[in-house]
Amino acid sequence: MRKRIVLSNTNALEVQGLRELDAGLGETNGEEVIGQVVGLMGSTVDSLRAVEAFKTAQGWGLFRRPGLLVREESVALSRKLIMSEEGEMLRLVIDGERGTGKSLILLHAMATAFVRGWVVLNIPEAQEVTNAMNDYAPLPGTTPTLFSQPTYTANWLSQINKANTTLLQDMELSLTHNLPIPLQSNISLSRLCELGARDPDVAWPVFQAFWAELMAKGRPPVLLALDGLNNVMRESMYRAPDTSFVHAHDLAIVNHFVGYLSGERKLGNGGAVIAATNRSHAPKSKSLDLVLTQLEERQLGEEEITEKDPFEKGYDGRVEWALGVKDVLKLKGLSKKEARGLMEYWAKSGVLRKRVDEEEVAEKWALAGNGVVGEIERGALRMRI
Amino acid sequence: MVFILGNNFLENRLLKHCLETFYGIGTKHSTRILAKFSVFPGARVGQLPTKTINDITAELSTMTIETDLRRKMRDNIQRLRDMGSYRGRRHAMGLPVRGQRTRSQILTARKLNRIDRAN
Repeated sequence: MRKRIVLSNTNALEVQGLRELDAGLGETNGEEVIGQVVGLMGSTVDSLRAVEAFKTAQGWGLFRRPGLLVREESVALSRKLIMSEEGEMLRLVIDGERGTGKSLILLHAMATAFVRGWVVLNIPEAQEVTNAMNDYAPLPGTTPTLFSQPTYTANWLSQINKANTTLLQDMELSLTHNLPIPLQSNISLSRLCELGARDPDVAWPVFQAFWAELMAKGRPPVLLALDGLNNVMRESMYRAPDTSFVHAHDLAIVNHFVGYLSGERKLGNGGAVIAATNRSHAPKSKSLDLVLTQLEERQLGEEEITEKDPFEKGYDGRVEWALGVKDVLKLKGLSKKEARGLMEYWAKSGVLRKRVDEEEVAEKWALAGNGVVGEIERGALRMRI
Repeated sequence: MVFILGNNFLENRLLKHCLETFYGIGTKHSTRILAKFSVFPGARVGQLPTKTINDITAELSTMTIETDLRRKMRDNIQRLRDMGSYRGRRHAMGLPVRGQRTRSQILTARKLNRIDRAN
């Protein structure tokens, strides 16, 4: 119940002439629909639901069917995603104030990846990986010791399988693996995931085998996504045998993700690693904040780059290493054009019962801190007095 | 029911709480034992593999807890008494040991301070 997602409201009106987010939209990067809402296809919705890309606090339950606002930032991101299919993999951190749509840009990236036939692996809440609510076990033969999370990994494998099932069913094993369970040589990757999902004890070795298969030649590009980056950029709540806290980067799943985010390892067939920060109830990380500020300043071409505070002890070298990304996507409020497109969609859905004119848009835009999209929604849809 | 060091526990109880029912184990030691065997704090005794339960029982049997700890404490008090020290005498008389005043409110001392102290 706590995690229930409602994606449809039969009382809302069907919006006529809604563009679909399909491969055709991806070809042109969706530039012609900036500021409009596009609908998600049924198969994409199923996949997104399987990877838990929809969050409970988002307003999906207000509309007839899930739709996404195409923003300038999301168009730029899809362009980068398409480029990364051929060339170098994309490593990106999405940052921005609370309510600016970080999780939704991530969802947009995932939706784009699904329609373009990528394999998508999503960690929907980084908090659930690190807050010691799942069982864990040290992995033998690793220095420093890594900790696997059998139940979480098994569940993750089943999510991956469910979300990408049409792709994975057509892919057969191409490598030989040394696994603790007997394995037929001609099974599909979907079946491999099923085997891992069934038995938590072998989930991690199976995941590694699955990943090796994905990295083999001729496989589709991969999108690795994570929401709530702040939670993995600190010590986790698990304890090592000497009772010290385990750094989140020593958890096998996070270690895997961070290895690619930092650029230490490369995705074999192109693809992207995207992480979104959380700004509403996330733990503070001095290093994360510092690195993101520095990256943003470099992108803007500023002359003075913020330096480390010499009197501050709370920095974490591992976090700085892990954030060896070149790109940070700093989200700000919507433009007035985008805000208008969004509000017109609300009006067409019958959720916003007002005339959407310039004055109305300007008022809501200004009251929402210059177009912070979460605040516009709150002001227009949720706080009706 | 799960059997740990001679005691039965319901399967849906948290392992951490089960450990803390033993005399001599509090938050510190229960946390240490969980960490030593890589058990997460929310684990219930029913979910744990038998091997972990056996390991934990083995670990508990090396610790001074329950009867051993009670005996050790009684021996300490008895030693003070046998020396004839002030603290030993105060224990024997059921009066406060550490210089508290006795004009009023010495119920805890009356209850606890005795030669054959139980807990």
